[in-house]
Amino acid sequence: MDKQQYTCVLVSDFNLQNFAGYVANDPEFPAIKVITAPFGQPVSTLLHKDLPCWQNTPDVAVIWTRPQSVISDFNALLRYEQVALQQVLQQVDEYSSLLVNMSEGVRYAFVPFWVLPSYRSVFGVLDMKTEIGLTNTVMRMNLRLAENLEEASNIYVLNTHKWIERAGIHAFSPKLWYLGKIVFGNEVFKEAARDVKAALRGMLGYARKLIIVDLDDTLWGGIVGDVGWENLVLGGHHHLGEAYIDFQQALKSMKNRGILLAIVSKNEEQVAIEAIRKHPEMVLKLDDFAGWRINWQDKVQNVLDLMTELNLGPQSAVFIDDSPGERARVKESLPEVFVPDWPKDPLLYPATLLSLRCFEMPSLSQEDLDRATMYFTENKRQELKKTVRSLEEWLTRLAIRVQVEELHPANLQRATQLLNKTNQMNLSTRRMSEAELMTWAEHKHHKLWTLRVSDKFGDAGLTGIVSLEIQDRKAQIVDFILSCRVLGRKIEETMLFTAIHHARALGIEDVYARYIPTSKNKPCLDFFNSLAPRFQQKGDCFMRDGKEPFLVPEHIELVP
Amino acid sequence: MHEKITQMLFSVIDELNQLRPPEEHLQKDLETPLTGDFGRLDSAGLINLIVVTEQQTAEKLGIPILLTDDRTMSQVNQVFHTLGTLADYIHLLLQEKRDG
Repeated sequence: MDKQQYTCVLVSDFNLQNFAGYVANDPEFPAIKVITAPFGQPVSTLLHKDLPCWQNTPDVAVIWTRPQSVISDFNALLRYEQVALQQVLQQVDEYSSLLVNMSEGVRYAFVPFWVLPSYRSVFGVLDMKTEIGLTNTVMRMNLRLAENLEEASNIYVLNTHKWIERAGIHAFSPKLWYLGKIVFGNEVFKEAARDVKAALRGMLGYARKLIIVDLDDTLWGGIVGDVGWENLVLGGHHHLGEAYIDFQQALKSMKNRGILLAIVSKNEEQVAIEAIRKHPEMVLKLDDFAGWRINWQDKVQNVLDLMTELNLGPQSAVFIDDSPGERARVKESLPEVFVPDWPKDPLLYPATLLSLRCFEMPSLSQEDLDRATMYFTENKRQELKKTVRSLEEWLTRLAIRVQVEELHPANLQRATQLLNKTNQMNLSTRRMSEAELMTWAEHKHHKLWTLRVSDKFGDAGLTGIVSLEIQDRKAQIVDFILSCRVLGRKIEETMLFTAIHHARALGIEDVYARYIPTSKNKPCLDFFNSLAPRFQQKGDCFMRDGKEPFLVPEHIELVP
Repeated sequence: MHEKITQMLFSVIDELNQLRPPEEHLQKDLETPLTGDFGRLDSAGLINLIVVTEQQTAEKLGIPILLTDDRTMSQVNQVFHTLGTLADYIHLLLQEKRDG
């Protein structure tokens, strides 16, 4: 995890000092320095970009308001004056414009949606009636706000109700309000701070991508080797069996969202596989797992082997096991693997899984949704590799096609995601929002290309980025990013061809790449080192004559 | 009862310390100064102390108390001088409730 401190601006019409305290002092990564905007002036703060709090492009802004403070017509509704709903929504539109405008000056903005204290329902059963009930109006305002903010890719509306539900009876504290103008109880702020930090971790590329699960008493009840697959506790009219089904369904939903699943279990592989294949109530099928290690060896070694097979680092994995001993061993030996405390009671498994805050992603692309399928096809590639005599023959038989495109609105989301979460083959490890990346790419001295890779087994999607910055007849390769799922197939050389070909057309004299080391991007250094003598290393730079052609690898077909 | 009150106040300190950087953590010690010349709490800190103490007294000792009434506010510097003076005051309030 990086040690950088990120800045977070808090804008509110009420006292957010407690929230600031939790955000700043939570020991979880990332470290956050909080800057509190002038108290009680949210609209004015959003309007004035020259305020000190907006200087140096803050990483995050949290704009947390009460509806009556920023929507004056709603304030009138609180006094039960007659105001047309349309009029209220028009003010929501105006407020949304302010937020969109503000978002241009920050990397990410979070807007907790509006809530009313639960005691505020004077009209009781009329509370959900349109044009009468306040709760009805607030819901419509929130929906309108969320729809309006869709246009800004770096603004996220947060679910305040989730925090209130978890805080229970202490969610609203009239006492805190009258003593300190603090709207919510501290449990609400704690939950909010955890969500904001989890979201930021996701945006910085630290979302977990893989769940490794045990089998016995984790995916099903009972020890399959002892009782046989026919007698496992799974499904049926049994509260435990239903909980295991729900847990599997929760895992399946994660898989459908792009999180990979894998198994590490101490069992006879044949017996365990038979249970997965034959048990009629199994929700998860063998194809749902990207890999498995089912044997009697040490689970730490099995986790490491699995990570190598899947080409993922330990910081990508979550390890779920019912045994406290196995959890402790993995936690101690592989500190980067996230090992959540796991309840003894299987009835709590589904809720525990679904409340983990480690899968936050700033966007969901088609590549995410197809990830599990991609790993399945990857197995086919690896099987082919075992049948051929050389790497070249394998690459030729894969029939790889690469489509190179400049950055445009349709590929911006995926390109930004790749930029922000790729760690290994990443030259400079820049992290940027969609707006920042597009602005950078549109600069007249900059050029950025994305690469889509496919072969006879399937489409790996947008998996590469290369960018150039031109200055004084020199071209610097700024970004050189390749997803680990297509590493080692000469896509790297195709990226260099793309950049150098463009530089040559401009008559550039020198092309160079500056390697910025991180704890994870040594594979990138190794790749550039392997290019000698086509690239010469000078300090942290790899240079070459810009006039020299760089050939596209023979087995790669460039497609329009 | 005094020991129960002390333990309850230590859990209040745990709560408050989550809002503070490690170097400003309050010690779980009855001598810990809260307000006054050597006090460690600013006004927001005092508000949190009051609200969390009221909540935890009700939850952990089963008896609700009020720390924002005129009686308490008129002697705020004495009641909230140290963790120990606060413990004594809560003990007094609980004693009065028990005696009716």
